[in-house]
Amino acid sequence: MSASNRTIDAETVEGELLAFLAERVGSPVTPEQDLFSAGLVSSMFAMQLVVHLEDSYDLEIVGPELTLEHFRSVRRMTELVLRLSAGAESDG
Amino acid sequence: MAETSGPTVLDDLAFLDELIGTGPQTWDVIGELPVELLRELGAMGLLCAEVPTRFGGLGADSRRNGELTAHIGGLCSSLRSIMTSQGIAATAVRRFGDRAQRQRYLGELTGGTLAAVGFSEPEAGSDLAAMRTRIERAGDTVTVSGEKRWVTGARYADLLLVLGRDGENAAAVLVPSDAPGVTVEPVLDPMGCRAAGHSRVLLDEVRLPASAVLGGGGHALALLFTTALSYGRMSVAWGCVGILRACLRAATAHAKVREQSGKPLAEHQLVAKHLASLFTAEQVATQACRQASERWDAAAPDMAVAAVLAKHVGATNAARSAGEAVQVLASWGAQDGHVVARAYRDAKLMEIIEGSNEISELILAEHALEHS
Repeated sequence: MSASNRTIDAETVEGELLAFLAERVGSPVTPEQDLFSAGLVSSMFAMQLVVHLEDSYDLEIVGPELTLEHFRSVRRMTELVLRLSAGAESDG
Repeated sequence: MAETSGPTVLDDLAFLDELIGTGPQTWDVIGELPVELLRELGAMGLLCAEVPTRFGGLGADSRRNGELTAHIGGLCSSLRSIMTSQGIAATAVRRFGDRAQRQRYLGELTGGTLAAVGFSEPEAGSDLAAMRTRIERAGDTVTVSGEKRWVTGARYADLLLVLGRDGENAAAVLVPSDAPGVTVEPVLDPMGCRAAGHSRVLLDEVRLPASAVLGGGGHALALLFTTALSYGRMSVAWGCVGILRACLRAATAHAKVREQSGKPLAEHQLVAKHLASLFTAEQVATQACRQASERWDAAAPDMAVAAVLAKHVGATNAARSAGEAVQVLASWGAQDGHVVARAYRDAKLMEIIEGSNEISELILAEHALEHS
Protein backbone atom coordinates (compact mmCIF):
# COMPACT_ATOMS: atom_id res chain seq x y z
CA MET A 1 0.00 0.00 0.00
CA SER A 2 2.71 2.41 1.02
CA ALA A 3 4.51 1.91 -2.27
CA SER A 4 1.50 2.78 -4.41
CA ASN A 5 1.30 6.21 -2.86
CA ARG A 6 4.65 7.35 -4.13
CA THR A 7 6.58 7.49 -7.36
CA ILE A 8 8.82 4.58 -8.16
CA ASP A 9 11.28 5.70 -10.80
CA ALA A 10 14.86 4.68 -11.46
CA GLU A 11 16.35 7.84 -10.03
CA THR A 12 14.42 7.66 -6.75
CA VAL A 13 15.04 3.95 -6.20
CA GLU A 14 18.72 4.19 -7.06
CA GLY A 15 19.18 7.18 -4.77
CA GLU A 16 17.43 5.44 -1.89
CA LEU A 17 19.42 2.25 -2.33
CA LEU A 18 22.73 4.11 -2.51
CA ALA A 19 21.87 5.89 0.73
CA PHE A 20 20.72 2.67 2.42
CA LEU A 21 23.87 0.79 1.42
CA ALA A 22 26.23 3.62 2.28
CA GLU A 23 24.72 3.76 5.74
CA ARG A 24 24.89 0.00 6.26
CA VAL A 25 28.39 -0.61 4.93
CA GLY A 26 29.77 2.61 6.34
CA SER A 27 31.27 3.96 3.11
CA PRO A 28 29.98 5.44 -0.16
CA VAL A 29 28.83 2.97 -2.84
CA THR A 30 28.58 3.61 -6.58
CA PRO A 31 25.65 2.40 -8.73
CA GLU A 32 27.73 -0.07 -10.76
CA GLN A 33 29.94 -1.33 -7.93
CA ASP A 34 29.93 -5.14 -7.56
CA LEU A 35 28.80 -5.47 -3.96
CA PHE A 36 29.50 -9.18 -3.62
CA SER A 37 32.99 -9.30 -5.13
CA ALA A 38 33.89 -6.19 -3.09
CA GLY A 39 32.93 -8.22 0.00
CA LEU A 40 30.43 -5.55 1.07
CA VAL A 41 27.55 -7.98 1.44
CA SER A 42 27.80 -10.59 4.19
CA SER A 43 25.38 -13.50 4.47
CA MET A 44 23.38 -11.72 7.18
CA PHE A 45 23.25 -8.57 5.09
CA ALA A 46 22.14 -10.37 1.91
CA MET A 47 18.95 -11.50 3.61
CA GLN A 48 18.38 -8.03 5.08
CA LEU A 49 18.72 -6.59 1.61
CA VAL A 50 16.00 -8.81 0.16
CA VAL A 51 13.66 -8.07 3.05
CA HIS A 52 14.44 -4.36 2.75
CA LEU A 53 13.56 -4.28 -0.97
CA GLU A 54 10.35 -6.25 -0.43
CA ASP A 55 9.30 -4.04 2.41
CA SER A 56 10.28 -0.66 0.95
CA TYR A 57 8.74 -1.24 -2.47
CA ASP A 58 5.92 -3.63 -1.56
CA LEU A 59 7.27 -6.51 -3.63
CA GLU A 60 7.65 -10.24 -3.37
CA ILE A 61 11.05 -11.46 -4.51
CA VAL A 62 11.00 -15.24 -4.78
CA GLY A 63 12.21 -18.13 -6.91
CA PRO A 64 14.18 -17.26 -10.04
CA GLU A 65 14.12 -13.53 -9.14
CA LEU A 66 16.56 -14.25 -6.32
CA THR A 67 19.53 -14.94 -8.58
CA LEU A 68 22.72 -13.24 -7.59
CA GLU A 69 22.76 -11.22 -10.83
CA HIS A 70 19.77 -9.20 -9.65
CA PHE A 71 21.56 -8.12 -6.47
CA ARG A 72 25.07 -7.63 -7.77
CA SER A 73 24.92 -3.83 -7.82
CA VAL A 74 22.63 -0.96 -6.91
CA ARG A 75 21.78 -0.53 -10.60
CA ARG A 76 20.74 -4.18 -10.94
CA MET A 77 18.60 -3.99 -7.81
CA THR A 78 16.97 -0.83 -9.14
CA GLU A 79 16.10 -2.63 -12.38
CA LEU A 80 14.65 -5.53 -10.38
CA VAL A 81 12.51 -3.22 -8.26
CA LEU A 82 11.17 -1.36 -11.31
CA ARG A 83 10.45 -4.55 -13.22
CA LEU A 84 8.66 -6.24 -10.30
CA SER A 85 6.68 -3.08 -9.47
CA ALA A 86 5.51 -2.81 -13.09
CA GLY A 87 4.52 -6.49 -13.00
CA ALA A 88 2.57 -6.04 -9.78
CA GLU A 89 0.59 -3.15 -11.28
CA SER A 90 -0.33 -4.98 -14.47
CA ASP A 91 -1.36 -8.03 -12.42
CA GLY A 92 -4.04 -6.06 -10.79
CA MET B 1 3.01 -14.05 6.63
CA ALA B 2 0.37 -15.83 8.68
CA GLU B 3 -3.05 -15.96 7.17
CA THR B 4 -5.33 -18.12 9.29
CA SER B 5 -7.42 -16.79 12.10
CA GLY B 6 -9.91 -19.64 12.47
CA PRO B 7 -9.44 -22.57 14.83
CA THR B 8 -6.69 -24.99 13.89
CA VAL B 9 -5.08 -28.10 15.21
CA LEU B 10 -2.54 -25.76 16.86
CA ASP B 11 -5.05 -24.34 19.35
CA ASP B 12 -4.68 -27.20 21.79
CA LEU B 13 -1.49 -29.22 21.65
CA ALA B 14 -2.50 -31.79 24.26
CA PHE B 15 -3.29 -34.36 21.55
CA LEU B 16 0.47 -34.53 20.88
CA ASP B 17 1.14 -35.82 24.40
CA GLU B 18 -1.21 -38.70 23.68
CA LEU B 19 0.14 -39.34 20.19
CA ILE B 20 3.77 -39.31 21.31
CA GLY B 21 3.22 -40.84 24.77
CA THR B 22 6.22 -42.45 26.42
CA GLY B 23 7.82 -43.12 23.04
CA PRO B 24 10.74 -40.66 23.39
CA GLN B 25 12.31 -42.67 26.21
CA THR B 26 12.44 -45.80 24.04
CA TRP B 27 13.38 -43.96 20.85
CA ASP B 28 16.42 -42.48 22.62
CA VAL B 29 17.61 -45.89 23.78
CA ILE B 30 17.08 -47.71 20.47
CA GLY B 31 18.17 -44.69 18.41
CA GLU B 32 15.20 -44.71 16.06
CA LEU B 33 11.91 -42.86 15.54
CA PRO B 34 8.77 -44.63 14.24
CA VAL B 35 8.63 -43.43 10.63
CA GLU B 36 4.85 -43.90 10.44
CA LEU B 37 4.46 -41.31 13.23
CA LEU B 38 6.66 -38.90 11.27
CA ARG B 39 4.45 -39.35 8.22
CA GLU B 40 1.31 -38.90 10.28
CA LEU B 41 2.60 -35.63 11.78
CA GLY B 42 3.84 -34.58 8.35
CA ALA B 43 0.46 -35.18 6.70
CA MET B 44 -1.15 -32.99 9.39
CA GLY B 45 1.23 -30.20 8.35
CA LEU B 46 2.83 -30.19 11.80
CA LEU B 47 6.42 -30.74 10.66
CA CYS B 48 6.48 -27.41 8.78
CA ALA B 49 3.55 -25.49 10.20
CA GLU B 50 4.42 -22.14 8.61
CA VAL B 51 3.58 -23.34 5.09
CA PRO B 52 0.61 -21.23 3.91
CA THR B 53 -2.80 -22.88 3.66
CA ARG B 54 -2.95 -22.30 -0.10
CA PHE B 55 -0.17 -24.90 -0.41
CA GLY B 56 -1.85 -27.29 2.03
CA GLY B 57 -0.06 -26.09 5.17
CA LEU B 58 -1.32 -24.83 8.51
CA GLY B 59 -0.37 -21.20 7.81
CA ALA B 60 1.00 -20.67 11.33
CA ASP B 61 2.97 -17.56 12.18
CA SER B 62 6.41 -17.91 13.72
CA ARG B 63 5.10 -17.55 17.27
CA ARG B 64 2.51 -20.32 16.94
CA ASN B 65 4.95 -22.59 15.14
CA GLY B 66 7.42 -21.73 17.91
CA GLU B 67 5.05 -22.86 20.66
CA LEU B 68 4.40 -26.07 18.69
CA THR B 69 8.16 -26.58 18.32
CA ALA B 70 8.71 -26.02 22.05
CA HIS B 71 5.91 -28.44 22.89
CA ILE B 72 7.40 -31.20 20.76
CA GLY B 73 10.94 -30.22 21.82
CA GLY B 74 9.91 -30.73 25.45
CA LEU B 75 8.81 -34.26 24.63
CA CYS B 76 11.57 -35.35 22.23
CA SER B 77 14.46 -33.40 20.72
CA SER B 78 14.97 -36.07 18.04
CA LEU B 79 11.44 -35.54 16.79
CA ARG B 80 11.88 -31.76 17.05
CA SER B 81 15.05 -32.09 14.92
CA ILE B 82 12.97 -33.73 12.19
CA MET B 83 10.60 -30.74 12.33
CA THR B 84 13.54 -28.39 12.01
CA SER B 85 14.77 -30.14 8.85
CA GLN B 86 11.34 -30.31 7.26
CA GLY B 87 10.78 -26.63 8.06
CA ILE B 88 14.13 -25.59 6.56
CA ALA B 89 13.31 -27.50 3.38
CA ALA B 90 9.88 -25.85 3.18
CA THR B 91 11.38 -22.39 3.79
CA ALA B 92 13.93 -22.88 1.02
CA VAL B 93 11.25 -24.09 -1.41
CA ARG B 94 8.97 -21.20 -0.52
CA ARG B 95 11.66 -18.59 -1.02
CA PHE B 96 13.74 -20.01 -3.87
CA GLY B 97 11.36 -22.31 -5.73
CA ASP B 98 9.46 -21.17 -8.81
CA ARG B 99 5.68 -21.28 -8.93
CA ALA B 100 5.46 -24.91 -10.05
CA GLN B 101 8.06 -26.05 -7.53
CA ARG B 102 6.30 -24.31 -4.64
CA GLN B 103 3.01 -25.92 -5.60
CA ARG B 104 4.50 -29.37 -5.94
CA TYR B 105 7.01 -29.58 -3.11
CA LEU B 106 5.08 -27.65 -0.44
CA GLY B 107 2.15 -29.95 -1.15
CA GLU B 108 4.40 -32.96 -0.66
CA LEU B 109 6.04 -31.57 2.49
CA THR B 110 2.63 -31.11 4.10
CA GLY B 111 1.34 -34.41 2.74
CA GLY B 112 3.52 -36.96 4.52
CA THR B 113 6.70 -36.75 2.43
CA LEU B 114 9.76 -36.38 4.67
CA ALA B 115 12.71 -34.12 3.89
CA ALA B 116 16.24 -33.71 5.19
CA VAL B 117 18.67 -30.89 4.47
CA GLY B 118 22.32 -31.35 3.47
CA PHE B 119 24.53 -28.33 4.24
CA SER B 120 27.66 -29.47 6.09
CA GLU B 121 30.48 -31.26 4.32
CA PRO B 122 33.61 -33.04 5.57
CA GLU B 123 35.70 -29.96 4.73
CA ALA B 124 33.03 -27.30 5.18
CA GLY B 125 30.94 -26.79 8.29
CA SER B 126 30.22 -23.12 8.74
CA ASP B 127 32.89 -22.23 6.19
CA LEU B 128 30.76 -22.21 3.08
CA ALA B 129 33.45 -21.06 0.74
CA ALA B 130 34.93 -24.53 1.15
CA MET B 131 31.77 -26.25 -0.08
CA ARG B 132 32.59 -28.88 -2.69
CA THR B 133 29.27 -30.34 -3.74
CA ARG B 134 28.61 -29.53 -7.41
CA ILE B 135 25.26 -29.00 -9.06
CA GLU B 136 25.97 -29.03 -12.80
CA ARG B 137 23.24 -28.18 -15.25
CA ALA B 138 23.31 -29.38 -18.87
CA GLY B 139 20.18 -28.85 -20.92
CA ASP B 140 17.22 -30.27 -19.08
CA THR B 141 19.20 -32.46 -16.72
CA VAL B 142 21.33 -31.72 -13.70
CA THR B 143 24.11 -33.78 -12.09
CA VAL B 144 24.79 -33.61 -8.36
CA SER B 145 28.07 -34.85 -6.85
CA GLY B 146 29.43 -34.49 -3.35
CA GLU B 147 29.31 -35.60 0.24
CA LYS B 148 27.25 -34.21 3.09
CA ARG B 149 27.78 -35.11 6.70
CA TRP B 150 25.56 -35.10 9.78
CA VAL B 151 22.39 -34.73 7.73
CA THR B 152 19.60 -34.74 10.32
CA GLY B 153 16.74 -37.06 9.43
CA ALA B 154 18.33 -38.37 6.22
CA ARG B 155 17.69 -41.89 7.42
CA TYR B 156 13.92 -41.33 7.18
CA ALA B 157 13.82 -38.81 4.33
CA ASP B 158 12.20 -39.23 0.92
CA LEU B 159 13.70 -35.96 -0.31
CA LEU B 160 17.11 -34.44 0.36
CA LEU B 161 17.52 -30.69 -0.07
CA VAL B 162 21.15 -30.42 -1.13
CA LEU B 163 23.11 -27.19 -1.28
CA GLY B 164 26.00 -26.97 -3.70
CA ARG B 165 28.06 -24.89 -6.04
CA ASP B 166 26.45 -23.90 -9.32
CA GLY B 167 29.31 -22.45 -11.34
CA GLU B 168 30.44 -19.37 -9.43
CA ASN B 169 27.15 -19.20 -7.58
CA ALA B 170 25.08 -21.61 -5.52
CA ALA B 171 21.96 -23.68 -5.93
CA ALA B 172 19.66 -25.91 -3.92
CA VAL B 173 18.37 -29.10 -5.47
CA LEU B 174 15.76 -31.59 -4.25
CA VAL B 175 17.17 -35.09 -4.58
CA PRO B 176 14.89 -38.11 -4.09
CA SER B 177 16.70 -40.32 -1.59
CA ASP B 178 16.09 -43.38 -3.78
CA ALA B 179 17.67 -41.82 -6.89
CA PRO B 180 20.54 -43.87 -8.36
CA GLY B 181 23.87 -42.66 -6.95
CA VAL B 182 22.50 -41.65 -3.52
CA THR B 183 23.91 -43.48 -0.48
CA VAL B 184 22.66 -42.74 3.05
CA GLU B 185 24.83 -44.06 5.90
CA PRO B 186 23.39 -43.51 9.40
CA VAL B 187 25.80 -42.06 12.00
CA LEU B 188 26.39 -44.73 14.64
CA ASP B 189 25.62 -43.84 18.27
CA PRO B 190 25.28 -40.05 18.08
CA MET B 191 25.75 -38.44 21.49
CA GLY B 192 22.45 -36.55 21.45
CA CYS B 193 19.17 -36.44 19.51
CA ARG B 194 19.96 -40.10 19.12
CA ALA B 195 16.85 -40.98 17.14
CA ALA B 196 17.05 -38.04 14.72
CA GLY B 197 18.46 -40.23 11.96
CA HIS B 198 21.69 -38.27 11.40
CA SER B 199 23.46 -39.67 8.38
CA ARG B 200 26.31 -39.22 5.98
CA VAL B 201 24.99 -38.72 2.46
CA LEU B 202 27.05 -39.56 -0.61
CA LEU B 203 26.00 -38.21 -3.99
CA ASP B 204 27.75 -39.94 -6.85
CA GLU B 205 26.86 -38.22 -10.12
CA VAL B 206 23.17 -38.24 -9.32
CA ARG B 207 21.26 -37.28 -12.48
CA LEU B 208 17.94 -35.49 -12.12
CA PRO B 209 15.63 -33.37 -14.27
CA ALA B 210 16.65 -29.70 -14.21
CA SER B 211 13.27 -28.92 -12.63
CA ALA B 212 14.69 -30.30 -9.35
CA VAL B 213 16.92 -27.19 -9.01
CA LEU B 214 15.07 -24.56 -6.98
CA GLY B 215 14.34 -21.46 -9.02
CA GLY B 216 16.79 -22.53 -11.70
CA GLY B 217 19.83 -21.96 -9.45
CA GLY B 218 22.38 -19.18 -9.79
CA HIS B 219 21.74 -17.89 -6.28
CA ALA B 220 24.10 -16.19 -3.88
CA LEU B 221 25.43 -18.84 -1.52
CA ALA B 222 25.23 -16.38 1.37
CA LEU B 223 21.57 -15.68 0.74
CA LEU B 224 20.57 -19.29 0.23
CA PHE B 225 22.39 -20.36 3.34
CA THR B 226 21.24 -17.57 5.64
CA THR B 227 17.60 -17.90 4.59
CA ALA B 228 17.53 -21.62 5.25
CA LEU B 229 19.64 -21.44 8.38
CA SER B 230 17.63 -18.62 9.92
CA TYR B 231 14.55 -20.82 9.95
CA GLY B 232 16.68 -23.59 11.46
CA ARG B 233 17.91 -21.26 14.18
CA MET B 234 14.38 -20.18 15.11
CA SER B 235 13.36 -23.82 15.27
CA VAL B 236 16.33 -24.86 17.42
CA ALA B 237 15.79 -21.84 19.68
CA TRP B 238 12.15 -22.81 20.37
CA GLY B 239 13.22 -26.45 20.69
CA CYS B 240 15.62 -25.35 23.45
CA VAL B 241 12.72 -23.61 25.21
CA GLY B 242 11.02 -27.00 25.14
CA ILE B 243 14.08 -28.66 26.67
CA LEU B 244 14.13 -25.99 29.39
CA ARG B 245 10.44 -26.42 30.17
CA ALA B 246 10.82 -30.20 30.41
CA CYS B 247 13.82 -29.82 32.74
CA LEU B 248 12.01 -27.28 34.92
CA ARG B 249 8.97 -29.56 35.17
CA ALA B 250 11.03 -32.62 36.07
CA ALA B 251 13.20 -30.79 38.61
CA THR B 252 10.34 -29.04 40.44
CA ALA B 253 8.19 -32.20 40.52
CA HIS B 254 11.07 -34.18 41.97
CA ALA B 255 12.14 -31.52 44.45
CA LYS B 256 8.60 -31.29 45.86
CA VAL B 257 8.26 -34.95 46.76
CA ARG B 258 11.72 -36.35 47.30
CA GLU B 259 12.81 -35.93 50.92
CA GLN B 260 16.30 -35.57 52.26
CA SER B 261 17.11 -35.13 55.97
CA GLY B 262 13.39 -35.11 56.81
CA LYS B 263 12.24 -32.38 54.41
CA PRO B 264 11.54 -32.06 50.69
CA LEU B 265 14.53 -31.26 48.48
CA ALA B 266 12.86 -27.98 47.49
CA GLU B 267 13.32 -26.72 51.06
CA HIS B 268 17.07 -27.21 50.87
CA GLN B 269 18.43 -23.83 49.82
CA LEU B 270 21.15 -25.11 47.53
CA VAL B 271 18.53 -27.12 45.62
CA ALA B 272 16.19 -24.11 45.53
CA LYS B 273 18.98 -22.16 43.86
CA HIS B 274 19.01 -24.70 41.00
CA LEU B 275 15.23 -24.34 40.63
CA ALA B 276 15.50 -20.55 40.50
CA SER B 277 18.21 -20.85 37.89
CA LEU B 278 16.12 -23.26 35.77
CA PHE B 279 13.10 -20.98 35.99
CA THR B 280 15.16 -17.93 35.00
CA ALA B 281 16.71 -19.75 32.05
CA GLU B 282 13.31 -20.89 30.78
CA GLN B 283 11.90 -17.37 31.02
CA VAL B 284 14.89 -15.69 29.38
CA ALA B 285 14.95 -18.16 26.47
CA THR B 286 11.18 -17.82 25.98
CA GLN B 287 11.44 -14.04 25.82
CA ALA B 288 14.32 -14.17 23.32
CA CYS B 289 12.28 -16.53 21.13
CA ARG B 290 9.11 -14.43 21.33
CA GLN B 291 11.10 -11.35 20.38
CA ALA B 292 12.72 -13.15 17.43
CA SER B 293 9.36 -14.55 16.25
CA GLU B 294 7.93 -11.05 16.35
CA ARG B 295 10.78 -9.83 14.13
CA TRP B 296 10.26 -12.84 11.86
CA ASP B 297 6.51 -12.27 11.52
CA ALA B 298 7.11 -8.58 10.80
CA ALA B 299 9.76 -9.56 8.19
CA ALA B 300 12.01 -7.06 9.96
CA PRO B 301 15.44 -6.47 8.43
CA ASP B 302 17.12 -7.72 11.62
CA MET B 303 15.20 -11.01 11.65
CA ALA B 304 18.30 -13.05 10.84
CA VAL B 305 20.25 -11.55 13.74
CA ALA B 306 17.27 -11.95 16.07
CA ALA B 307 17.22 -15.65 15.14
CA VAL B 308 20.92 -16.00 15.97
CA LEU B 309 20.38 -14.28 19.33
CA ALA B 310 17.41 -16.51 20.21
CA LYS B 311 19.30 -19.63 19.18
CA HIS B 312 22.35 -18.63 21.21
CA VAL B 313 20.34 -17.71 24.32
CA GLY B 314 18.26 -20.89 23.99
CA ALA B 315 21.15 -23.29 23.43
CA THR B 316 23.49 -21.94 26.11
CA ASN B 317 20.72 -21.81 28.70
CA ALA B 318 19.45 -25.28 27.80
CA ALA B 319 22.93 -26.80 28.00
CA ARG B 320 23.63 -25.25 31.41
CA SER B 321 20.18 -25.87 32.84
CA ALA B 322 19.99 -29.48 31.72
CA GLY B 323 23.09 -30.08 33.84
CA GLU B 324 21.35 -28.51 36.82
CA ALA B 325 18.22 -30.60 36.27
CA VAL B 326 20.33 -33.78 36.29
CA GLN B 327 21.95 -32.48 39.48
CA VAL B 328 18.57 -32.03 41.19
CA LEU B 329 17.26 -35.43 40.11
CA ALA B 330 20.60 -37.11 40.75
CA SER B 331 20.35 -40.89 40.40
CA TRP B 332 16.63 -40.63 39.53
CA GLY B 333 17.49 -38.91 36.28
CA ALA B 334 20.89 -40.38 35.51
CA GLN B 335 19.71 -43.09 33.17
CA ASP B 336 19.63 -42.84 29.37
CA GLY B 337 16.10 -42.37 28.14
CA HIS B 338 15.09 -40.22 31.16
CA VAL B 339 13.89 -36.78 30.18
CA VAL B 340 16.73 -34.93 31.96
CA ALA B 341 19.39 -37.37 30.80
CA ARG B 342 18.21 -36.83 27.23
CA ALA B 343 18.07 -33.09 27.77
CA TYR B 344 21.66 -33.12 29.03
CA ARG B 345 22.96 -34.82 25.88
CA ASP B 346 20.57 -33.19 23.40
CA ALA B 347 21.11 -29.64 24.69
CA LYS B 348 24.87 -29.92 24.28
CA LEU B 349 24.37 -30.64 20.58
CA MET B 350 22.22 -27.51 20.32
CA GLU B 351 25.36 -25.50 21.19
CA ILE B 352 27.00 -26.98 18.09
CA ILE B 353 24.42 -27.18 15.29
CA GLU B 354 22.90 -24.38 13.15
CA GLY B 355 25.86 -22.16 14.03
CA SER B 356 27.97 -23.14 17.04
CA ASN B 357 28.19 -20.90 20.13
CA GLU B 358 31.35 -19.42 18.67
CA ILE B 359 29.86 -18.70 15.23
CA SER B 360 26.79 -17.18 16.89
CA GLU B 361 29.03 -14.98 19.02
CA LEU B 362 30.97 -13.81 15.97
CA ILE B 363 27.73 -12.81 14.24
CA LEU B 364 26.42 -11.06 17.35
CA ALA B 365 29.72 -9.23 17.87
CA GLU B 366 29.72 -8.08 14.26
CA HIS B 367 26.15 -6.84 14.67
CA ALA B 368 27.09 -5.01 17.87
CA LEU B 369 30.01 -3.31 16.14
CA GLU B 370 27.87 -2.24 13.19
CA HIS B 371 25.29 -0.68 15.47
CA SER B 372 27.57 0.98 17.99
